Amino acid sequence: MKLALRHVFVLVVCAFALFPIVFVVSAALNPLGTLASSDLIPDGASLDNVAKLLSSEAYPFGRWFLNSIGVALAASFTSLLLSLLAAYAFSRMRFKGRRTGLMSLLLIQMFPQFLAIVTIFMIFTRVTELYPAFGFDSVSGLMILYMGGALGASTWLMKGFLDTVPKELDESATVDGATHAQIFWRIILPLVTPILAVTGLLAFIGYMNEFILASVFLRDPEAKTLAVGMFGMLSGDARNTNFGMFAVGTLITAIPTVGVFMWLQKYIVSGLTAGAVKG
Amino acid sequence: MSAPSVTKAARDDTARPSGPRRREITTGFVVTRIAVLGVAAALLLYALPPLVADESWPAVVVVCLATAAIAALYLTRRFVPAKYLIPGTVFLLAFQVFPVLYTMSTALTNFGDGHRGGKQEAIAAIETASLRQVPGSPEYALTAALKGDELVFLLVDTKTKQVQAGTEEGLSPVDGAKLSLTGKVLEAPGYTVLTTAQAAARGKEITGLAVPTSGGAIKANGLSRAVESRAALAYDASCDCIQGEGGPWRADESRGYFVNDKGEHLAQGWQVNVGLANFTRVVTDPTISGHFLAVFAWNLVFATGSVLSTFALGMAVALALHHPRMRGTKIYRIVIVLPYAMPAFAMLLVWRDMFNRDFGLINSLTGLNLDWLGEPTTARMAVLLVNLWLGFPYMFLVTTGALQAIPREMTEAAGIDGASPWQAFRRVTLPLLLVALAPLLISSFAFNFNNFNAIQLTTGGGPFDVDNTQVGKTDLLITYTFRLAFGTGSAQFGFAAAISVFIFALVATISAIGFRMTRKQEEVYR
Amino acid sequence: MRIRALAALASVAFAATACGGSAETPSATQTQAAPAASTPAAGGGKLVIWSEGAKRTAALKPFAEQFGKENGVTVEIKEIADNPQQTFVTASQQGSGPDVMVGAHDWIGNMVQNGAVEPVNLTEEQKAALNPVALKAVTFNGQVYGAPYAVENLALIRNTTLAPDTPATFDEVVAKGAELKKAGKVKEILCLQVSQRGDAYHAYPLFASAGGALFGTTAGGDPDPKQVLIGGGDSVKAWGKLGELGKQGVLKASITPENSIATFADGKCAFLVSGPWAMNDVRKAGFSYDISPIPPFEGGKPATPFVGVQAFFVAAKGQNKVLAQEFVTNYVTNTEVAKALYQADPRPPALTAALEEVKASDPDAVKFLDAGKDGLPMPAIPEMAAIWEPFGIAEVSVIKGGDPAKAAKAAQDAVEKSLRK
Repeated sequence: MKLALRHVFVLVVCAFALFPIVFVVSAALNPLGTLASSDLIPDGASLDNVAKLLSSEAYPFGRWFLNSIGVALAASFTSLLLSLLAAYAFSRMRFKGRRTGLMSLLLIQMFPQFLAIVTIFMIFTRVTELYPAFGFDSVSGLMILYMGGALGASTWLMKGFLDTVPKELDESATVDGATHAQIFWRIILPLVTPILAVTGLLAFIGYMNEFILASVFLRDPEAKTLAVGMFGMLSGDARNTNFGMFAVGTLITAIPTVGVFMWLQKYIVSGLTAGAVKG
Repeated sequence: MSAPSVTKAARDDTARPSGPRRREITTGFVVTRIAVLGVAAALLLYALPPLVADESWPAVVVVCLATAAIAALYLTRRFVPAKYLIPGTVFLLAFQVFPVLYTMSTALTNFGDGHRGGKQEAIAAIETASLRQVPGSPEYALTAALKGDELVFLLVDTKTKQVQAGTEEGLSPVDGAKLSLTGKVLEAPGYTVLTTAQAAARGKEITGLAVPTSGGAIKANGLSRAVESRAALAYDASCDCIQGEGGPWRADESRGYFVNDKGEHLAQGWQVNVGLANFTRVVTDPTISGHFLAVFAWNLVFATGSVLSTFALGMAVALALHHPRMRGTKIYRIVIVLPYAMPAFAMLLVWRDMFNRDFGLINSLTGLNLDWLGEPTTARMAVLLVNLWLGFPYMFLVTTGALQAIPREMTEAAGIDGASPWQAFRRVTLPLLLVALAPLLISSFAFNFNNFNAIQLTTGGGPFDVDNTQVGKTDLLITYTFRLAFGTGSAQFGFAAAISVFIFALVATISAIGFRMTRKQEEVYR
Repeated sequence: MRIRALAALASVAFAATACGGSAETPSATQTQAAPAASTPAAGGGKLVIWSEGAKRTAALKPFAEQFGKENGVTVEIKEIADNPQQTFVTASQQGSGPDVMVGAHDWIGNMVQNGAVEPVNLTEEQKAALNPVALKAVTFNGQVYGAPYAVENLALIRNTTLAPDTPATFDEVVAKGAELKKAGKVKEILCLQVSQRGDAYHAYPLFASAGGALFGTTAGGDPDPKQVLIGGGDSVKAWGKLGELGKQGVLKASITPENSIATFADGKCAFLVSGPWAMNDVRKAGFSYDISPIPPFEGGKPATPFVGVQAFFVAAKGQNKVLAQEFVTNYVTNTEVAKALYQADPRPPALTAALEEVKASDPDAVKFLDAGKDGLPMPAIPEMAAIWEPFGIAEVSVIKGGDPAKAAKAAQDAVEKSLRK
């Protein structure tokens, strides 16, 4: 394909991607604070909404921001490790119940979460009594709850990627006498950097945006994450929400994700595996 | 060629003894085993004491056995797959499998609002709710005090200033008490008056103390007031019924309610087993079974359409950027990822407002006057478009990642063989991509099949026909379930669980078929 | 290998600190036996309050802290972002709910049937100090279930620059709005939120004025869930009336909670049907306005809005009921708390004394109260929850030109069905 054509196509898609975001930016700058405008260009541009959000006493936005990043980084890192281990087994080993296991992982994800809330209360009421360090309102509790979904979220993704790593690599290593642990840590892991980066990024975004479980778990205004806090801005006592502040919040939420993406981008396109196949 | 030497990490590894044999005991082996035992011991040390203090012996046994099993698993050289699966699976079992199974088990009950707890809880709630202040009873100022170790209410009649002591035995007069201006007791001979903080710390005891009187009982109402009240309803075990106003209310174990002769029931009910009633309701209720096929068909269209459109667009962009001489890829990638970086629920609401007929950006930019979310066809197009916007960056990312795994030589080789770029893509790139992505497409299908937020936050299932308020034109099975079970405000968990079981079975079947088809692809690289 | 060893070390260290931490916290069985020992400074009592909405939570915080100081207890105030009522009921049932819940009075029915709240005992003086409508609203099955602090209802807010005269009938509102629109002075005849899903709360005054009804009434004057009237003969006429308004472009599905107040504040419509929560924005807009009761249709019944009451509830399964009762019945029922909550969110206080003080600086509060004087306290019966969705869907149907008789029947069927369950 001609390079110019590629650029045109990608630019069109970029326009599609940006269109609603420009609208949010416009709402963020609009001092009237409404999402209901039918114009892309606001009546007046001001950073009022930004200032209001950052100085608001009711919304400790800075805290939410830090909480979110902390939770998302820790949770995505741990879940990445858990699901990589599982994906390795599913991709490389043949054992009884393998396909059933994969299938069940998928099906579990399908269960409507709004029904599981009751059971989560049941479990964590008990946990709060016994191990307050992991109880309600604790980030550690939320973390272990998130780990319940770790396998379901990324095992399938990683397994698909691992399937593309030639099996001859581990076979010859096995012949050399390497143990399965050595193969995993020394051979597979370095080969799958792009996969780790993609999956890690996806997990990070997922945890940044998660609010159903977090809203049940984090109730101290200071302990909330961005998603929970922002959702609260919409559903709270103020029936007429200030959408300007909400729009600012939405935009700020995207910043850490973009940052993580910029950091991981070089790994995603590093093409390590491509080189390794030749080796 | 020895494989372990192909990577940098492996090459650097000079410290490793070259070629350890299978049964050899290495330092690494010893260290890991010690570590495993250490972790197991630490877990036990942390988890057990609270359980022992709580005397939950079954839990103690389970924890000990589980820890022992896990430790054993990592100590042996056998069961290799399990070693990799266990860490995630433990969490999965606790926080996903257990909730799902538990919820499914409620499908056999009437669990829901009004029927959340047990019968004893319902009785307690009924009795408390019927407590009424005894007419004409005096207003008491309350001071909590101790006589010896026993909690006593020092009660001051706010009109007569007469002071009495109330215990479980009843009221007795108190002489020589000093009162404050607000009418509380400052000190009384023979009693230790509790400070507010001390009293607050004994909250449970204070709540529990009922001073019997001829008309009922005096109970604390906060820390500074006491009220003489009487229950209008009381449980009578001899007839398994509630006696009192409007009664007798007899326990109806099939409905989980106390019912009187007129067929009325008390508000507070309890959870009972209803057998398969929830399931038969799903099958026999015409509003459910009658619309099931239509909803299901649209649900399939929505899920398939979302997966295919996001995959097609995401892959197209990834391929367009996957060219050695392509410039500006970093910027492009960031822009393309942006939709995915924004909080999804917020952007769904933004899209909904952009589709607004009179106030929306889309009509005002295009000059159309379409009621986008108000007409079935446009509403369906709109939700698919929104879902495309939300989902294609995900597909873009995973395709970009997967493309790195395809050696460029392979596509180049195809080009040299005289294949057109399209043929090269069809014959080489796509099949290889699908190895990595086919499982993902299935899980994406499963996700979109149940994509609750995408519908609930945009159309809410609507538009609706004028003569049918139950099923909307963009309803998925999941939003439809939600409306049936929670739309009326009061939650019917049992019923919702029953519908979920049906949906579950359905998706399981579809996904299993799709999964079977990927079996071949899995072996491409083998 | 290294990673595993590190992980092991980390876990041991973590477990050790966690054990140390948990040793100080008494386990569930010990809390009762050893009060005062765990946190001697605070006296051992702890009061947990759940509230909805960040602004209200922030406004309550200083008072909660003051209460804590006065009583030597720790007070925690938490904000529930998502579906507070269901979260409260679920958490209470499982034993991890709060001691005090803050919320709307129409939750009472559901909270009572789940045994989640307890009646509160207010003294005669306390009752006398409250707006009678507020007291009536929190009374359920003859018991008072919460301490009300604010009252809210819909009213007609008018841009007096555009429409100087107080309309006596709703027909005048429509006529004036249409005239202004024709003259190009406004974009919309009326700003009354409907949205694609309908909005029973905002449509009800018009529905009632046109003769529609939701439930029959019991002998005691309470709504009777056994008689569903939403699809009855008079209601069909009312649906027809809403349909007419839809045809005239007065009611539109495109007017939503997101844009109705903003459009009015922008001067693009002269009339807004909304509540006290709109006032922050309306005042900011800077034009002169007036608040009056929603006028009835010519020859119609009164356009009664629902009256909602915000209240403090004592959780039945809380850990510290005595403190909760103390807080709800003796502490938050004072004028200072009511005024602070009014500052955070301008809903007229339920305490007459607080209202008097607010009135001096802000006449709007009284005007809203006036508009709701004959209002219908929102039925707190759990059955009311069955109304919202079918009503909303029927509303949108008729506004878009659907047959009122069909819509009425569909709504009637849907409500009856969910009540039969």
